Amino acid sequence: MEFKDYYQVLGVEKTAPADEIKKAYRKLARKYHPDVSKEPDAEKRMKEVNEANAVLSDPEKRAAYDQLGSRWQTGQDFQPPPGWDAGFEFSGDGAHGGQAADFSDFFASLFGRAGRDSGTRDYQMRGGDHHARILIDLADAYHGATRTIALRAAKLDASGRVVTEKRNLNVQVPKGVKEGQHIRLAGQGSPGMGGGPAGDLYLEVQFSPDSRYRVEGRDVYQTVPVAPWEAALGATVEVPTPSGNVQVKVPAGSQAGRKLRLKGRGIPGNPAGELYLVLEVVLPPADTDKARQIYQSMARDLAFNPRQKLGV
Amino acid sequence: MAQDDILAGFVLDEVALSLEDLARACAVEPQWIVERVEAGLLGSVSLKAVEWRFVSADLARARRLAALERDFDANQELAALVVDLIEEVGRLRQRLKAAGLTVD
Repeated sequence: MEFKDYYQVLGVEKTAPADEIKKAYRKLARKYHPDVSKEPDAEKRMKEVNEANAVLSDPEKRAAYDQLGSRWQTGQDFQPPPGWDAGFEFSGDGAHGGQAADFSDFFASLFGRAGRDSGTRDYQMRGGDHHARILIDLADAYHGATRTIALRAAKLDASGRVVTEKRNLNVQVPKGVKEGQHIRLAGQGSPGMGGGPAGDLYLEVQFSPDSRYRVEGRDVYQTVPVAPWEAALGATVEVPTPSGNVQVKVPAGSQAGRKLRLKGRGIPGNPAGELYLVLEVVLPPADTDKARQIYQSMARDLAFNPRQKLGV
Repeated sequence: MAQDDILAGFVLDEVALSLEDLARACAVEPQWIVERVEAGLLGSVSLKAVEWRFVSADLARARRLAALERDFDANQELAALVVDLIEEVGRLRQRLKAAGLTVD
């Protein structure tokens, strides 16, 4: 486990007063806000910043951390010395309860509450809820699927120390799920204390990017390339869609950008979404004499001015 | 639990959250939710609190509100205003994407 320098994370001196820590935290919280930030690793950085703040903004935790701090540097292999927190009492994670699940092994080893609270037998508390994201393919929303996600969870080892354990969960992704929806898995959050029930796990559904499809709610948009004569004269073309190949009739006189709606072929549900096929007219290359001849005869015979609407 | 057990959960929206569920999922007190619902900042419910039900969008919204209020000591109206804007930008980005356009 690596030692974490929380002062470095927040970019403050070890002697920084509380209001300076607060200021530094807010500045970074704004910079790495997951809804706003354009930094590629915003989410990871935000977690680090939250973790550093959870320790340094709490006088008890900060004092305990400072006692360790001077002897360690970032990235150094770290084990807490036995009894390192003797004389400190932590008043729980109240203010940050929902976040603590996201914190590092390092944090858990110092401030993990499972270890500290396990002695209080007559005290029951439900475990905290956890939140995570699950990335699925669009096809999974059409057909349903089973996905494995890796989570970390804090637990006690044989000698009563808090360790984090990786666990894999196989999760059934129900058919018809939309982006942004949550799947709730009862009892898969933090274990309860003193026999209290475990918390729940909420998984927010996200679709992995797929350049073929664009999704809006349950409606799906897909671009379909067509030849100029298919658009002009009409044609029946075969299109691979998320729900399988379909034969689609392109009406005569179609222009690029025309949307063909296939009712109920979006993401299944009640009501099911629509599938919109957006026509894209693709020109054959004029790279042979024959092709050039055909383009020349069109230019000659069609008397077509594509810029008529521009008034030229 | 065996490693290869397959867990089936509930999709929120089909099975909605109660007031207590939502409060727990956001690590706040139920009263925190009640205040924001009554102030019109969260959810769209007119029944008695015991009958309130919340869906995915409410959960995402409530977690954002709680994070903004906590991280910036924002008052509830200001946090709600920021979340309104975040949600609006999200919708617009979705529409841009559906139109085949992207913003950086």
